[in-house]
Amino acid sequence: MALVRYRNSIDPWREFERLRDEINDLFDFDQTSGSRGLFDRHVSPALDVIEGPDSFTVMCELPGIEQKDIELSLTGNVLTVKGERSPEKDKNTGKVYRQESWSGTFQRTISLPQTVDADRKVDAVLENGILTLTLPKKEEAKPKQISIKVQ
Amino acid sequence: MAEKNLEKRSETRPTVRACCDVLEKDGEITLKLEMPGVTKEGLKVNIDGDQLEIRGMRDVRIPEGGEYLIHEIRDADFYQLYTIDETIDRNKIDASLKNGVLTLKLGVKESQKPRRIEIAAK
Repeated sequence: MALVRYRNSIDPWREFERLRDEINDLFDFDQTSGSRGLFDRHVSPALDVIEGPDSFTVMCELPGIEQKDIELSLTGNVLTVKGERSPEKDKNTGKVYRQESWSGTFQRTISLPQTVDADRKVDAVLENGILTLTLPKKEEAKPKQISIKVQ
Repeated sequence: MAEKNLEKRSETRPTVRACCDVLEKDGEITLKLEMPGVTKEGLKVNIDGDQLEIRGMRDVRIPEGGEYLIHEIRDADFYQLYTIDETIDRNKIDASLKNGVLTLKLGVKESQKPRRIEIAAK
């Protein structure tokens, strides 16, 4: 065991502030469901659904997952993100000190509002471990601005 | 988003610890940190003496004026600080970022590797 320098830069009050902020944060975010649905899935990646003026944006955190391992399907208004993260192949040859990442299959199914236009093109981009889907809204659901002529 | 803005924004944003795997193989310590949404520009890895500081600033495009229906992804940057001891060779540190996973390879000094001592038979 080698000697390492003691880090005395920790400000105890800063730590309390951080704790307070973290507790406040708990109320601002939805909890990721551990196992929800028919099948007991061990993992469910965090998801965001944002409603914009003319489209819905679905974002999903999928770090370390290749494009080919993700399967997306849209049936009516039900969107399913499914995939698998295979465990490291070379893990057996090394020594594991700590493992926090998961591997295995995952599936998230969400019901989108009726206003999603499922027939139109859905954009899906996987970038830096985040999957972003853009689903257009139906024409009639978009907010319309009616200009009034002043006479 | 420009890099400067990321750093400026990062000063006030909350930070979370990234999920981390620590592995050892062939005299090399490998750290794998899950940082979805972090770009190469937003990643800062610093070594100061025996402290390894990793800061991953997320650069995720969120549509303007939207309303969250589900909000599970935390709006935070990644930050963690590790203490590394003398056995790590400071000149043999290699970092790569792929699909939101940062892989750091820390080489162990040659002098610290286990070696066999030959016994001379007389």
